[in-house]
Amino acid sequence: MNSGIESDTVAVAPLSDDERGDLADSLKRCSEETRQAAFEFRESGKLSLLPTIILGIIERFLEPEIRPKLKEGDGSLKLIDDLGIDSLTMMEIVVLVEESLDLSIDNEELRDLRTLDDVRVFLDAKIRNIPLPEKNKHYGVEAILAAIPHHVPFLFLSEVSLGKNEAIGTYPISGLEEFLKGHFPENPVFPASIMLEALGQLAVFYLVTAQKSESGQSVNPKKILFTGCEAVRCQRICVPGETLTLSIKPKSIRHPIAKFEGKITVEGESAAWAEDISLTFDWSEATEA
Amino acid sequence: MSRVFVTGLGFICSIGNDEQTVVDHLRELKHGMELFPPLQVPESPVKLAAPVKDFDVESFDPEDWTYPKEYRLRREVLRSFSPHVMYAYCSMKQAIEQAGLEESDVSNPETGLYTASAGSSRFLHRSIDKMYKRGIMRCNPLNIVSSVAGTVSFNLVSNYQIQGASTGFASACASSGHALGFAFDEVKRGRQKRMFVVGAEDCNFDSIVPFAVMRALSLSTDPDSAARPFDKNRQGFVSSGGGVTMILESEEEVQRRGVTPYGEIVGWGQASDGYNVAISHPDGRGLQNAMLSALKDAQVTSEQIGYVNAHAPSTPIGDLSEVIAMKEVFNNGTSPMISSTKALTGHGLSLSSILESGICMLNYKNGFVPGSAHIEELMPEAESLNIIQTTQEEKPEYMMSNSSGFGGANTSLIFRSCQS
Repeated sequence: MNSGIESDTVAVAPLSDDERGDLADSLKRCSEETRQAAFEFRESGKLSLLPTIILGIIERFLEPEIRPKLKEGDGSLKLIDDLGIDSLTMMEIVVLVEESLDLSIDNEELRDLRTLDDVRVFLDAKIRNIPLPEKNKHYGVEAILAAIPHHVPFLFLSEVSLGKNEAIGTYPISGLEEFLKGHFPENPVFPASIMLEALGQLAVFYLVTAQKSESGQSVNPKKILFTGCEAVRCQRICVPGETLTLSIKPKSIRHPIAKFEGKITVEGESAAWAEDISLTFDWSEATEA
Repeated sequence: MSRVFVTGLGFICSIGNDEQTVVDHLRELKHGMELFPPLQVPESPVKLAAPVKDFDVESFDPEDWTYPKEYRLRREVLRSFSPHVMYAYCSMKQAIEQAGLEESDVSNPETGLYTASAGSSRFLHRSIDKMYKRGIMRCNPLNIVSSVAGTVSFNLVSNYQIQGASTGFASACASSGHALGFAFDEVKRGRQKRMFVVGAEDCNFDSIVPFAVMRALSLSTDPDSAARPFDKNRQGFVSSGGGVTMILESEEEVQRRGVTPYGEIVGWGQASDGYNVAISHPDGRGLQNAMLSALKDAQVTSEQIGYVNAHAPSTPIGDLSEVIAMKEVFNNGTSPMISSTKALTGHGLSLSSILESGICMLNYKNGFVPGSAHIEELMPEAESLNIIQTTQEEKPEYMMSNSSGFGGANTSLIFRSCQS
């Protein structure tokens, strides 16, 4: 593909000697790798250098004890909560990124940057001069109730964040769930079967909300059935007071079968995963049309 | 009305970065002047300064600075500092430790902080220059808070989590006198139970050289004789910088904490010359009135004052104005002991008043009064005053500290020994 070459690089203004000196001075506390990447970028415009430059600049502003976190490469790290970056430090980072990459960033553009991935995606789009990919949409419990046929007391989603290729839901275990009286008396443990049910509900929500047929038909919520699941593993007991973070990703969606993989964590700790959660579905409009 | 005691001191100045070193220099009349490296360039007519030792804060990037390791600071604290803020921060840390204050003593709504500094012209100039060269949005977002007058307050209030009264004073060389005076009032009136007072100034090419064109600086190259207040052949002052912190506490706090104060502040006064933007009134009118006002506030007579730490910076006009003013105030035939410790410390501008008030406190604690150094031939106008030229092993009950700044702003503070 000849477009491949174009999308790997962008046009950059070459550095004057003065600017080169200024940039070297500004980046003097970044790693050698970061400095080299920045200078190379200003010659070649090679986009593959961006992560090194951006992470290198962020690293330079972190307290030494926080820096190892960056090396783990977890893009979901939150700038404020996980890395301790306050708004002034954010401004310092922005100024140095602007100078290194030769671009200008508006205040409004910063508002939605919460994680390292947000920053990476934002700068990538910014420098390519393409629109930002759509951010996840958030749904509260009312929107969930309106979308899927499940209802209290058998609804195990309190909110959902819907991305391009995944859905993330949460469910706080209140302890008031009726079944916890028997599972088990004096020792409430959230049942593994209900965890699987919760993942199924999230998959239903995904199908109904995100899936469209080629001719634009949406999925009929009343015609979805849970048909099976290849493998389930539970790794942790979940109890009242904890919040389940559920996520599902579609593996294949071909009418009338949709398959998903699912995962549940509690505060980052794996609680359960499920392979090939299968649902059958049908389109809203009569298929014979 | 509460009595007001001095219970803590911190020194980062040309004659020492701890109390004992400062005391040793004062007792032995050892000065802090040197041929200051940044001034050893052909374009600078002035060669001497009295810089702080063991701090290298020349770089525009605080992360480059070197300083005694007990003050080690995180990047997010340092990033909004200019050089004198560093001195101020360290002096305050020293004073807090020395006074034995707990964190809760420092951070509460009844403990405030008054500061005195002219800001950092070096950092302000550099940041504005960079803004013109590289663009408005390509500057350090903390340029303003690190450089304008007020930067000492911004940084210390936030870092020490001060919750009480806070503001800064900008009356040039009288600034920290005003800061001390108003802080004294806060405690005396019971509005605050404790006040930190901090004076600080940069000491670098940009802070010193602009005074050369005013002909206010000594152009001498001899560190041992350049600063010679009250000498007939005085030629100007030697510039200094640093940071000094003084802790004032109410009588109730002193008793509650069971500490022994250095001394007591019993009153202060201020008055203005109403005369010239940069030259002191020939008769020292404002300083005279400031001293009289301080005596009245302290309810003591001029005969009771045993020692005056004079402002006398070693300038031809400034020293003479003060001599005339003192002759008017101490006019009953006996003069208190008088010396100017600027002969040893250099002139720290906003720093000077609190440094010299701190020296008075050290006098009480150590039982001596430092002489006025480097006088070869006393100015004839001062012959009727008791200008002491050597250290006196005496501890007068009452001492006075004078300061005068640009625009004819004058302050005078009066202290009392605690053993009386």
